[in-house]
Amino acid sequence: MALYKKTVLLKDTNLVQEDKTRDFYTHFLQKLAELNLSELVQVVRANDVGVYNQGVVIKIIPDNIIYANVKDSDIQRIIDTTIKEGKPLADLQVKREGKQLRIVLRNCGAIDPESIRDYIGADGYLGLKKVLLEMTPDKVIEEMKKSGLRGRGGAGFPTWMKWKFARGVAADEKYVICNGDEGDPGAYMDRSVLEGDPHSVIEGMIIAGFAIGATKGYFYIRAEYPLAVERIQKAISDAYSCGLLGKNILGSDFSLDVEVRLGAGAFVCGEETALIASIEGKRGTPRPRPPYPSVKGLWGKPTVINNVETLANIPYIFLKGGENFSKVGTATSKGTKVFAVTGKVRNSGLVEVPMGITLREIVYDICGGTSSGKPVKAVQTGGPSGGVIPVEYLDTPVDYDNLQKLGSIMGSGGMIIMDEDDCLVDIAKFYLGFCVEESCGKCSPCRIGGTQMLRVLERITDGKGKIEDLDMLKRIAFAMQKASLCALGQTAANPVLSTARYFEAEYKEHILNKKCPSKKCSQLASYTIIQDRCKKCGLCQKYCPSGAILGSREEGYTIKQDKCVKCGQCFEACKFKAITRE
Amino acid sequence: MDKLKPQDLDKINSEAKIAPADWIKVGMSTCGIAAGADEVLQTLKDEVKKRNVDIDIKKCGCVGMCYAEPLVEVKIDGLPPVTYGRVNKEIAMKIVEKHVCGKMLVNDSIFELEAKG
Repeated sequence: MALYKKTVLLKDTNLVQEDKTRDFYTHFLQKLAELNLSELVQVVRANDVGVYNQGVVIKIIPDNIIYANVKDSDIQRIIDTTIKEGKPLADLQVKREGKQLRIVLRNCGAIDPESIRDYIGADGYLGLKKVLLEMTPDKVIEEMKKSGLRGRGGAGFPTWMKWKFARGVAADEKYVICNGDEGDPGAYMDRSVLEGDPHSVIEGMIIAGFAIGATKGYFYIRAEYPLAVERIQKAISDAYSCGLLGKNILGSDFSLDVEVRLGAGAFVCGEETALIASIEGKRGTPRPRPPYPSVKGLWGKPTVINNVETLANIPYIFLKGGENFSKVGTATSKGTKVFAVTGKVRNSGLVEVPMGITLREIVYDICGGTSSGKPVKAVQTGGPSGGVIPVEYLDTPVDYDNLQKLGSIMGSGGMIIMDEDDCLVDIAKFYLGFCVEESCGKCSPCRIGGTQMLRVLERITDGKGKIEDLDMLKRIAFAMQKASLCALGQTAANPVLSTARYFEAEYKEHILNKKCPSKKCSQLASYTIIQDRCKKCGLCQKYCPSGAILGSREEGYTIKQDKCVKCGQCFEACKFKAITRE
Repeated sequence: MDKLKPQDLDKINSEAKIAPADWIKVGMSTCGIAAGADEVLQTLKDEVKKRNVDIDIKKCGCVGMCYAEPLVEVKIDGLPPVTYGRVNKEIAMKIVEKHVCGKMLVNDSIFELEAKG
């Protein structure tokens, strides 16, 4: 029995002016008291209603009607029409559709990750039951083919094909590995799944193991995720004690042992051959493919390596059917994708969206636009192997092939939003620097090429760039793409290539005019004191590490340009905005 | 636990589906814990004990709204389920005092989630 007939949530979403939430709240309560409705209607001030910059927004529960730009004068008719009669007012109403679709994150935030009972209560292990009791391994692979699921780790290789190859090879032992070595800066989908719903990954692994005929499974998780490791270990031991792992799972003939291995924090170990080397106890460096791991992998035996998110999809596929799963998404990319949206965005976090949604919908409708209120300049997807997508292409539907056409990749799902304050040359330098640091050094195109490209970029951001540098960057990038041993080197140049493709003008501004349009590159800035605004407080002089600020509290201060190291300390320190940066 | 047979799975499934009428869930993934969910969970447990209320307090994973962590979801019979964001010790105490005991939603902390849609 509901205690109140209606609940009204309200919030002033105009952040620029004074917050009117409290005034409006009082008016609403007064009006209700006048009409003797206080007992029936509960009014609550909310913190966030998911609608932004649209004046006072109110939401009426349980009708789920949202009104924006509500004025005090509207209160009477809202009470008369919506609260008393439950009818919407068309002129005030805004529609807010749920754009997310939760398959991978279906249980995250809903169940207790440390309770196997909770997971079974959320239909967990029922997909596995169906597989073990009713299906043959070939049928399982057939079902995966119908689902159209592609690997979520980055490359997007069809999962059923991987399984089929491994199944086709005769061997006394086969392995299945869960790749939880999530290393892209700003990406943490796998961590959230491992922490929020570890049993779904285990269930996915058992099904994968059954399909290929595996005897042993490994979770390869980076040691930087202690909570994820703890939860997956708890989940594994619970599954063992329930007979869901180990000998004769659920009373069937199928047995699978599972073990956790920790990665020691090398980005390259997310690459499958390097990962295998790492599990074998060798140095984590890749080897040339073929032979692919599905033919000759761990300890020389057929091995399937699937990403955490891929495995978390699998129980759902067998519970609901492959065909059902394939109804979501685009022609070539089925299902959903989890993105970790970070950067200059109002609501950063994880979003799970059906494939084919546009970037604009993700950035504006789900994440509420930029945190600064400034327009979006570009979106970076795919981490250090991905690229930058400029604002003109924000309406592109997101799937594997479309992103590739734009010079980026889906990757593991990191998405970084950039606004006008971000310098794309600087971003390219950051990602390339990451790859140079993480390069294992085995092959020279990656080891030397990356370092040389980074030097060129540093030259450009230091104001010593030459126009020929742009061609040189492209030449080295081409060599790296063609000749590197693994995907790390082959894709390391992507951030540089895509920024150079879409933001060539910005590179040229750095090279020819020695200016950074977004004022990020500190070496290209010059600082001066505006004498009219200066209050002669001396803070700038105190903070200057190089003694470039001359003067005294009586005479005022000036910056000696040839001594200035352009660190920006004075700019930050000045409380009166009397120092300019250009 | 004993080794499960296929039919046991269905039994647990239907038993576990019957949720209690009143519950509180606290997001306890890395993002939540980093924002202080440990303290919030402890405060909720202490307050509930102090007031002698019978309510299920559970840990759960991350719903994805990392910007609003720590998140506390509350369902009390007769009130709509709501999620409180950026919860600290004070708000956690208010949740037990006002929402759980007083049957009134707490002002200024509700985050309306699109994800729940």
